[in-house]
Amino acid sequence: MSLILLGVNHTTAPVEVRERLAIPAGGLADATRSLLQHPGVREGLILSTCNRVEFVAEEDDANLPDLRKFLREYFSLQASAIEPHLYEFRERDAVRHLFRVASSLDSMVVGEPQILGQVKESYSVAREVGAVSKSLERLLQSAFTTAKKVRTETEIGSSSVSIASVAVDLAHRIFGSLQGRQVLLVGAGKMSLLAARHLMQQGATQILVANRTPERAQQLAAEFHGLAVPFADLQEHAPKADIIITSTGALGYVFTRAQAQAILHRRKGKPIFFIDIAVPRDVEPEANEVDGAFVYSIDDLQQVASSNMVQRSAEADAAEKIVSREVDRFQLRLQSLDAVPAIIEVREYGEQMRQAELERARGRLASLSAEQAAAVDALTKSLLNKFLHKPMQGMRDAARAGDGVALDTMRRVFSRGNEDSLRNDEEI
Amino acid sequence: MSLVWLKIAVLLYGIASLAVLPAVLYERPQWRYVALPAALLGLFFHSISLAQMLAAAHHLVPVEATEVQAVLALLLVMAFLLTAAVYRTLTMGVVLLPVATLLCLVPAFALGKSTLASPFLHSGWIWLHIALLLAAYAALILSLLASVLYLIQEKRLKSRSAKGPMGALPPLATTDAIVLKSLLFGLPCMTAGLLIGSLLAMQMYGASYFHDPKVLLSFVMWLAYVAMIAIRRSAGLRGRRAVFLSAFVFFVMLAVWSANQFSSVHQFAVER
Repeated sequence: MSLILLGVNHTTAPVEVRERLAIPAGGLADATRSLLQHPGVREGLILSTCNRVEFVAEEDDANLPDLRKFLREYFSLQASAIEPHLYEFRERDAVRHLFRVASSLDSMVVGEPQILGQVKESYSVAREVGAVSKSLERLLQSAFTTAKKVRTETEIGSSSVSIASVAVDLAHRIFGSLQGRQVLLVGAGKMSLLAARHLMQQGATQILVANRTPERAQQLAAEFHGLAVPFADLQEHAPKADIIITSTGALGYVFTRAQAQAILHRRKGKPIFFIDIAVPRDVEPEANEVDGAFVYSIDDLQQVASSNMVQRSAEADAAEKIVSREVDRFQLRLQSLDAVPAIIEVREYGEQMRQAELERARGRLASLSAEQAAAVDALTKSLLNKFLHKPMQGMRDAARAGDGVALDTMRRVFSRGNEDSLRNDEEI
Repeated sequence: MSLVWLKIAVLLYGIASLAVLPAVLYERPQWRYVALPAALLGLFFHSISLAQMLAAAHHLVPVEATEVQAVLALLLVMAFLLTAAVYRTLTMGVVLLPVATLLCLVPAFALGKSTLASPFLHSGWIWLHIALLLAAYAALILSLLASVLYLIQEKRLKSRSAKGPMGALPPLATTDAIVLKSLLFGLPCMTAGLLIGSLLAMQMYGASYFHDPKVLLSFVMWLAYVAMIAIRRSAGLRGRRAVFLSAFVFFVMLAVWSANQFSSVHQFAVER
């Protein structure tokens, strides 16, 4: 295996460079085909996300692929435009990088789950166009296994790190399932709409929308398949909601402590979750003291997200160890696979010798019954297996140790190579 | 009582008690695969030991405190397994399993030396009376525990510290449902248990039965139980106040339990 990986990511290239190299999902198959046709490339894969564009190639035996040239030609770019942002990994380093990418250790938000799906998508496209064969298949399957181990053996992806997902996570901690929960959207900030969308995706069924501009309320209600309510009747409708997301531009509080108390009273103490994304705040902080009311401002949500991020970083150390272990394992497997052709050659040669000797002894063995002939056949097979066991073990060990000279010597000694060299010696 | 099976059950409950700790406190869910089978197996051996107890002692009623403890422990483990199956949470096991282990510890190592004082009590009705009341006690313990967990989770959410040990506490809605459902299960058990006991005692002791301190406290407990459910239903009592109310009923229950010492009608056992 001779692996090369070339790419840019969010740490090496600004978005202006990344967007020039980005390949849309619809064009990925064509780009992979082009990569495969590039001289020196036997197998190839392209990973293109908003944070990275990477080209993975398994080298042809005869040529060394010039992936930088491929990049320049495919994207019609000057070398100076991309060269400073490129990174290149070979062999073990390339394996390690790919494992880290698939495990989300190289992501902008460490532990985010989307990247594994994106790598799988690239793999699927590359397979469809015939760009993935034995080598990359082995590599990518190992990358997926590693990513799965990182997910299951560490807590790297267990906590939310974005404001919207933290809000959803908190809602789960209060209500369990969000199925059938009602959401009241007060105001129409970008972040609050995102949080509302997340909540709807998690099963919240109905959205009430209150806005000072009735037309905007109607528009949002239509967008969320919800119901617009007059802003003046906000306190009347608030008790119906389990989750209230506020992001108005009001200078005073939209929900005071007393109003929160009244809402809880009308809800017979059933918990209510205020997600206050407005600055200045829409919900009086003291409302959090009311039994059953949970008030989180934008700063509170940000604080939870930051502490989750710290926790993820701690888990990332454990994940790096898993990746290192898996890279070692992959390399060992790869090296032992290098012994397979030599072992097959030795075994075939031994079998030919066995058949030849049986043939030579056929005249002397003619008087044997069928059972006796079968016993002789089994005996010679057993002898051959016993004789070859140690050399084959030695070849595997030599391959694992990366000792190509020892491997080749053993192959030549125990196979036709031995005969050829003997003949050569005789000729001399 | 067959001590060998009960000792095995205690060992398994001990293993389950330890295994729920990493599962709940350190968010290592794989430990559930140790805790749940151990608790289930423990319950199986516990049931065998109880069945052998009944067969060997030739009575249907757990007459000694140790035997009653063993039955209560069995019900608590059943409550834990039920909440784990229905609500997918092991958190209740952090308290219920060690309590069940401790309750079984004495019965497992001290053979009962009492027998029934009255042949009248070899009745299936008295067994039903005790079983129903123990089920009500178990439900009350579960509801108190769930109320405390609700309070802890509520405090954590209000203080915005949702991480660290106990980070895997069940959602508020789940603990609230456990509180209410266990109370709603316990009330008919307690009502039926008290009614059966009253009818049996009326037959045997007449009206004097109602002057017994344990009987009087039992009716106080029933009233508190009913009041607790009524308040929860009407005012939606949750959190701190719900814990206070549950704790009050729980202490009444302990008083009822300890009133056996002063009761004239609940002295079923005599030394062998």
